Amino acid sequence: MNTLNPSGEERRIQRRGGATLDGAPVAYVAALTAVMIAFTLVPLPLSVVIGFGRSFPLSQGLYGLIGWLLGPLAGALANGIGVLIGVFINPQNTTIPGASVAGAVAGALAAGVMGATGLRRRWALPLALLFVLEYSLYGGRAILQNGADARAVFAGSFINWSALFLFISPLRALCGRWLRHTNLRYVTVALFFGTWISSGLAHLTSATWVYFVNNWPAENWWLMAPAAPLEHLARCVIGAIVGTGVIAGLRATGILKPLHAAY
Amino acid sequence: MTAPLVLLERLSYQYPRSETLALHDISLEIRQGEFVGLIGPTGAGKSTFCLALNGIVPQFYGGRFFGRALVVGLDTVEQPVSELASRVGMVFEDPETQLTATSVENEIAFALENLSIPRALIRERITRVLAIVGLEGLEHRHPHELSGGQKQRLAIAAALAVEPALLVLDEATSQLDPAGAAEVFRVLRALNREYGMTVVLASHAAEELAEHADRLLLIDAGELVAEGSPAEIYSQVALLEAHQLRPPQVVKTFSLLPCLPSRLPTRLEEGLATLSNYAAQCIPAAPPLQHTPAAPVITVKGLHHRFTDGTLALTGIDLAFYPGEYVLIVGQNGAGKTSLVKHLLRLLDPTQGQVFVLGRDTREWTVGALARHIGYVAQNPDHQLFNATVRQEVAFALRQLRFPPREIASRTAEALGLLGLEAVADRHPLSLPKGDRARVIIAAMLALQPQVIILDEPTTGQDYAGARAILDLSRALHAQGKTIIVITHQLYLMPGYAERVIVMGKGRVLLDAPLRQAYHALDVLGATQLTPPQAVLLGQRLCPAAQLLTPEEIARCLTDSRVPGDVL
Repeated sequence: MNTLNPSGEERRIQRRGGATLDGAPVAYVAALTAVMIAFTLVPLPLSVVIGFGRSFPLSQGLYGLIGWLLGPLAGALANGIGVLIGVFINPQNTTIPGASVAGAVAGALAAGVMGATGLRRRWALPLALLFVLEYSLYGGRAILQNGADARAVFAGSFINWSALFLFISPLRALCGRWLRHTNLRYVTVALFFGTWISSGLAHLTSATWVYFVNNWPAENWWLMAPAAPLEHLARCVIGAIVGTGVIAGLRATGILKPLHAAY
Repeated sequence: MTAPLVLLERLSYQYPRSETLALHDISLEIRQGEFVGLIGPTGAGKSTFCLALNGIVPQFYGGRFFGRALVVGLDTVEQPVSELASRVGMVFEDPETQLTATSVENEIAFALENLSIPRALIRERITRVLAIVGLEGLEHRHPHELSGGQKQRLAIAAALAVEPALLVLDEATSQLDPAGAAEVFRVLRALNREYGMTVVLASHAAEELAEHADRLLLIDAGELVAEGSPAEIYSQVALLEAHQLRPPQVVKTFSLLPCLPSRLPTRLEEGLATLSNYAAQCIPAAPPLQHTPAAPVITVKGLHHRFTDGTLALTGIDLAFYPGEYVLIVGQNGAGKTSLVKHLLRLLDPTQGQVFVLGRDTREWTVGALARHIGYVAQNPDHQLFNATVRQEVAFALRQLRFPPREIASRTAEALGLLGLEAVADRHPLSLPKGDRARVIIAAMLALQPQVIILDEPTTGQDYAGARAILDLSRALHAQGKTIIVITHQLYLMPGYAERVIVMGKGRVLLDAPLRQAYHALDVLGATQLTPPQAVLLGQRLCPAAQLLTPEEIARCLTDSRVPGDVL
């Protein structure tokens, strides 16, 4: 390769006529949508899930990753379409298809905002308010309307309120910084905690919808208390392992990075 | 004089996150109706050059762009890629990556539909371009049911359908068997000669470029090193070798003579004609040395394999591979070569018949246990890379097989050293050039210290130096007593390496013979659509009994020039 100075005049490069969605090439969005379809079809074989009486699809560990790879809007689109088609093909992996799609969209939005730069960092505030509203509706309906034990609801929704708390905390920005770190160990840690946050908020979004449609018995909140964090840990491990490999590969190949990607 | 179709002025380009220039100060013109060959070693910048012709570089990749590129009068930095795409057709190395539709006609219609071409015109163009590339009657066939050559011709047809002024092909024949590559070159030649299509083709196929190209551009390290007619470029053997390229064998042959012809022939027919100017001293080939074979390491008995869709892949294969052999398996695409070696690894089980490895039926082996004895490097190294560093990749199988940590470390270090990969041990495998990625896979396989090594198309996509480096390594391993089995279409590379050749066709073994004898069995090679190297064809004309294989052997036979004025 050549290290000499070029003699020609430097040109200003614009992306003209290339098909992009919010700065992400359509081809990338299509490819990652296909990935989400495939992962939505696959239930996690080691799932301990009893939250909704079903196993959960592997894609739930990757909601955040898609947001970091494509940016919040293109990521939300890829997640939404991918999960919609995935649950259409394999409806056993969902309770309410709309809730699963909404959760996937929320997960990518939360992750994309976590890794955002510039003015887009301000999107965190309205998004946080939305998630606070969701949690208020979710917990409020359980405690105030259905009379569930507040301690049980608090324990059973640990993954949701902890994700919300971490999203509001400085960890959000720290994850954004570490995702761009050259040392892959930092990236892995950011992916783990980032997945805790994004998948936790995705879960909050879909659980709120599901709970308003199918109120589960008050006793279930206590059952969820130990099981939900375990399954959420599984999502985080999936996100960290797959994400580290994918980001390392993308960096190594030098393939074009979407405008709002966070790696 | 008309304006050039392509005008590059001090064009330089730097990829994002790269500290070096992929192209540096390239200035040239390409005129309407030219067939331009682009040659250069791997990593020279040929693909970047191709992508710069339709604006993908820099508009898709970003980075820094200097100078000016005008194609059909359009500035590639200022015009949208969608606009350039209707003027510049692109065909890439792997046809599989370009075919997305469910039928041949839909594949061709796709770009036209996106350009809002009326339906009747789309139908008309489909018929026309299929006739040009010779795929008439296959309109409703699924693209994946086509052969490699047909797929690449379909990709060309899809590019032609938008009626581009310029057709750019990046290594479009490197993954095809000789018959498939010949099909593509025949179509390109017709497009250029009969329809006046301007063609730019990046390729390592020296013999074919000498035959078809009007002009060659030699690029190395992003710079335009030389340009000229194939005769001018290929006659500069020292220049080519300095840039890790090889001339056509016919050029090499005559360049080795003490009495050079007044002009080095670059095409086979010129070479055959020039031969008549020389006297030859023919010594019939000595019969091959007969080894007393030890017990075979692999035995194949009455092997048949039928795929689940009913396709018969192998029919009645009986073979034995002996310890320390270097065996070459050749044949057209679909001849059953890869299916055969997959049985040796138990990646496929026989439908009928048996395969024995070290005396045990493969059905008694697990795939993992066989992997300790037989190393396999698949055709595309990228399919076997998935770890974050080269070191982890090399150590992966050892870890899976639960070797002790100290042995993992020592074997990994040894394999990295053997392949010269120590300096990149902590880099991501995908950040390496293709040739190095192949070496990572070979290192990972060698770390298991297998007794038998199978290399499936190890030189595909490699430049001459890269291909030689891989084969030199295989020879070194052979010298250590390993059994080597290589599958390749590039017959010209194998003299000096392989000893025995198995020629396959339509799932059968057509010939199993020493290399010298097999290369001169022209009828058998023709039956499986293989073309022997130019040196073999020259040798056939010169003295068939000598069964000459290489330019060096032919040059030794040609003793003096019969034409006094033909000496430089």
